[in-house]
Amino acid sequence: MRALSLLGLVGGLAAYMASGLASAGETPAGPGWPSRIVSLNLCADELVLRLADRAQVAAVTTLAGDPRGSTVATEATGVPVTRGLAEEIVALKPDLVIAGAFTTRTTVGLLKRIGFPPLELGVPADFDGVRAQIRQVAAAVGHPERGEAMVAELDATLSQIVPASRSLRVMVLRPNAFTVSPGSLGDAIIRAAGLVNVAAEIGRDRTGSVPLEAAALADADLVVLDAGEAGTPSFADALLHHPILERIRAQGRTVPIPNRLWTCPGPQVAEVAARLAAAARERAPMSAPMKAP
Amino acid sequence: MTAPTPLVTRTTPETGSRGLIAGVGLLVATLTVASIAVGYAAIDLPAALGDWLAGRATLPALVLMELRLPRALLGGLVGFSLGLTGAVMQGYLRNPLADPGILGISSAAALGAVVVFYGGLAGSLSLALPLGGIAGAALAALGINGLAARGTGTLGLILAGIGLSSLAGALTALALNLAPNPYAALEIVFWLMGSLADRSMDHVRLCLPLMALGWILMLSTARALDALALGEDTAASLGFDLVSVRIRIVTGAALAVGSGVAVSGAIGFVGLVVPHLVRPLVGARPGASLWPSGLLGAALVLGADLVVRLLPTRPELKLGVVTALVGAPFLIALLFRREQGR
Repeated sequence: MRALSLLGLVGGLAAYMASGLASAGETPAGPGWPSRIVSLNLCADELVLRLADRAQVAAVTTLAGDPRGSTVATEATGVPVTRGLAEEIVALKPDLVIAGAFTTRTTVGLLKRIGFPPLELGVPADFDGVRAQIRQVAAAVGHPERGEAMVAELDATLSQIVPASRSLRVMVLRPNAFTVSPGSLGDAIIRAAGLVNVAAEIGRDRTGSVPLEAAALADADLVVLDAGEAGTPSFADALLHHPILERIRAQGRTVPIPNRLWTCPGPQVAEVAARLAAAARERAPMSAPMKAP
Repeated sequence: MTAPTPLVTRTTPETGSRGLIAGVGLLVATLTVASIAVGYAAIDLPAALGDWLAGRATLPALVLMELRLPRALLGGLVGFSLGLTGAVMQGYLRNPLADPGILGISSAAALGAVVVFYGGLAGSLSLALPLGGIAGAALAALGINGLAARGTGTLGLILAGIGLSSLAGALTALALNLAPNPYAALEIVFWLMGSLADRSMDHVRLCLPLMALGWILMLSTARALDALALGEDTAASLGFDLVSVRIRIVTGAALAVGSGVAVSGAIGFVGLVVPHLVRPLVGARPGASLWPSGLLGAALVLGADLVVRLLPTRPELKLGVVTALVGAPFLIALLFRREQGR
């Protein structure tokens, strides 16, 4: 009985979605282009808001408008938001849903069951993956030329990077002492800047967090800390103000780069590589004598 | 006529008790050194110490003084506070199950510290963090004390403590979820289970003075606790001011537990287990169990903190997990023994 009623519910949802799809065709957005895009993931929000017309976007996530984590907080102003719940998504009658491969799995599962699979974005581990994802989203929202322009912008920034005179060792520390794991996009960004990721040398737990003493003893030439003062306390952030890191800060070894620039694939990741390289060039001439005796 | 027995007027510990204090003290010293020596990265300790003494701020010296030393010190300080408070409360309430964790004082202290820290008050006044913990602990201790004064029995107090713990835990979760920082909600485990990972000397400086004041107040009640073992009327007739004793115990427990929990989170069961281990060795006199209980509490927390670092689990276990693995079976065994004793 329960299975039957569940089936009925799913069937009803499918019919509802289909009616949404039918009405979507009537809006004058362009032939075959989606006109009611719903994004279920912050990284999808960033690409959708940059690549699609504002009128095409039906909703983004609640995270998109928070300037602490989002690079498109300005673009997200006034765009409706959802928390990624299935009922919210269905009510919006979307004709394209873009989700992340690891978030809002229940909603994604339901959309698949009712025959409306969302476009699922993976987590790229290198710049080729970033380029491919930009092109994928640009094609899906009906603006492939904007995708090509964004890829060109990314490549232009990357090609202008001048590495430091020698490859310095860099350590990224985020709240809760999370670092950049080898083999991730962050690692590729570090390599693009001509630097070496110290996190590969020290033990991390399976979530990518490092013990503070191992991070300190790794003796990186550069330590990347998000300098953005949250203004609202947490132990996760307070850890980045531990006296031992303040000493390293006082030695001028820290580089402030906001965490939000690292989070998602987009043109901003080239910007991170450029900033890292600039910090390394500033540091390279005088770095040798600063090592502990 | 025989002279009155000097039972409760004795001011110095007996020889056996002194030996016990010296032995447990040695254990605490050993564990403190071990705690400093164990870490996630190998450092040359003598060289690091040499660097520090010579005023060279090398990385090993910084790790030693800014990470290893505060962690070991806090383990000892928080453990001493919990063990001492457990012994004082068990003696004062004449209740073998009394413990700051079980009676809800630790949870209430965590709630007070959470409200102050995540509300942003600790940013303007860093002393606000331990003061918040002390305020929470004081409210809980007053409540427990009020119940005890009304003649609530052992199990009634424990039930009240369970209720208070649940309420404080729920309100802590609520406060963390309402906090504006996105990481706050993830930190509930720290406040409920306790940890000493990545603390700093700032935390030691914040909690030590208030904690020490709490210890002094509680240790000053040792003779009164001995007298109270004979009943309140007897204690009063022996000249002890019971109101003063109560004020010193409630204030002392709030200061020691509140400032400890504010920097370490709530670590359970230490105050429950330790006095039971000490009591057979000091002749069942509550007053004589105070120093050994505090020291054994320090040894237990230092040992648990060594275990969480030596176990290959990453991220490391919270301290409360290890103390609960030891303490919860102990609590169950105590309850069974009480049942059989009826």
